Amino acid sequence: MTRVPLLSAEGLVSGYGGAMVLHGVSFSLAEGEILAILGKNGMGKSTLLKTIMGFVAAREGAISFAGQDSTGRSPHLMARDGIAYAPQEFTIFQDLTVEENLRLGAPSDTVFNARVDRLENVFPRMLERLKQRAGTLSGGEQKMLLMSRALLAEPKVMLIDEISEGLQPTMIARMAEALSTARETFGCAILIVEQHLAFALKVADRYAVLKLGEIVEEGAAGDPSAASALAEHLKV
Amino acid sequence: MAILVLDMLTTSLILFVVAAGLMIILGVMKLINFAHGAFLTVGGYTAMLTTDAGVSPWLSGPLALIFGFFGGLLIERFIVRPLYDRPLDAILATWGLGIVIGQLITLGFGREVQFAASPLEGTLTLGAIDYSAYRLAVSGIALAIGAGLTALLYLTRFGLNARAVIMNETLARGLGIDSARVRAFTFGLGAGLACAAGALITPLLSVDPNMGLPWLVNSFMLVLVSGVSIPSLLLASLLLGSAQVLVSTFVSPILGGMTIVVLAAAILRINPRGLSFG
Repeated sequence: MTRVPLLSAEGLVSGYGGAMVLHGVSFSLAEGEILAILGKNGMGKSTLLKTIMGFVAAREGAISFAGQDSTGRSPHLMARDGIAYAPQEFTIFQDLTVEENLRLGAPSDTVFNARVDRLENVFPRMLERLKQRAGTLSGGEQKMLLMSRALLAEPKVMLIDEISEGLQPTMIARMAEALSTARETFGCAILIVEQHLAFALKVADRYAVLKLGEIVEEGAAGDPSAASALAEHLKV
Repeated sequence: MAILVLDMLTTSLILFVVAAGLMIILGVMKLINFAHGAFLTVGGYTAMLTTDAGVSPWLSGPLALIFGFFGGLLIERFIVRPLYDRPLDAILATWGLGIVIGQLITLGFGREVQFAASPLEGTLTLGAIDYSAYRLAVSGIALAIGAGLTALLYLTRFGLNARAVIMNETLARGLGIDSARVRAFTFGLGAGLACAAGALITPLLSVDPNMGLPWLVNSFMLVLVSGVSIPSLLLASLLLGSAQVLVSTFVSPILGGMTIVVLAAAILRINPRGLSFG
């Protein structure tokens, strides 16, 4: 059965100044699905997420979300529509407390108060650190905070940029669990961009390889031959 | 001696309330609002017109705040917002706006110095001394404004959103914060505070089309020294405002007028972070 696309892009072209980074990227993400976009550094993975969110303008092509044309929509409206974005860099407000960072993830303080206890099942450590300044958390804890904040939004789609980067194996496993929990609990679809092949194939349903701004290969993450085929693409 | 201490305290608090509006606009919008002095002047004339119309002088501050807030919203929408992507041009636009406001005031009210009635005449006896009741009242109002601003920034959702925009606007937008609305409200609030400050200080001084200029310079230096922090601004106002009073009293009023600028420059030379903390 073909699932209805919740988020899709068609022929997306975007870049910075006169330099185009994406050259006609198309993909679709169904409700509750996890899609991993894989690629080496500089292939356009982060630019793809920024273009979907509206931080980088799409020069050509179209983005559709929940049946509506979202091309050129402002980032704050995309977030309010139900897309949570976890960027790779400058991900948290270092000088705010953990609680303040989390509050910013929820649409209102009332919603935050109603949802915050749910973190007990996913990242209980965050509830112990609510009054701590976010900048004093360890690297792994900052990633937990990033994920927790995204989860509190109860998004329809999460866009996650290389969450595994710089994490220890145990923490990567926690992140994989958290993503699965997010899907099971909220039914949200997830688009991750990654270089960590094992992590991506563990959490994703499907994968697509982004090479020099174009999707060059797609497949099912559960396919036994996927890992070896993808390793070639990700070789430095 | 007690009067000198009270002069230092009240002058500092008046400086604080004048600089507060400039600080929040700089913090949220990364914009040095050179029209701040002109907004203060508008507040001064609002106070004069209020009392001339026979309305209670106590209402001049709130009226100036409201007038400045809505005027600020319009200015942000039609002058500042189109220049968001050109920050230097936006700063120059506020400078030009300040000149235009000054000229319009001159056209409407003339160049001469005018006065507004004080809502509180006479002195208050504090132990062995008598001190201006209105200066004490303005100091109390300044503290209340400081407390109100702190509460707004640290106890409300708007404040949390504003602080998020101050720290990382891109990230804030990605979390659904309408940074354009935060900027507009902030500019309105900053303009309103400037006007209210003008209305508050007018009964202590006088009004003329250029009354805001020296306040703009001192406010600018205080904000440079304190960064985007209300407690730091209060500390900077207390230290530099007190120094201004001391120099004016014991050395020369002319040198006193330069004290804040000179001390702020020296502080920044020694420590680029100035007196910023928190």
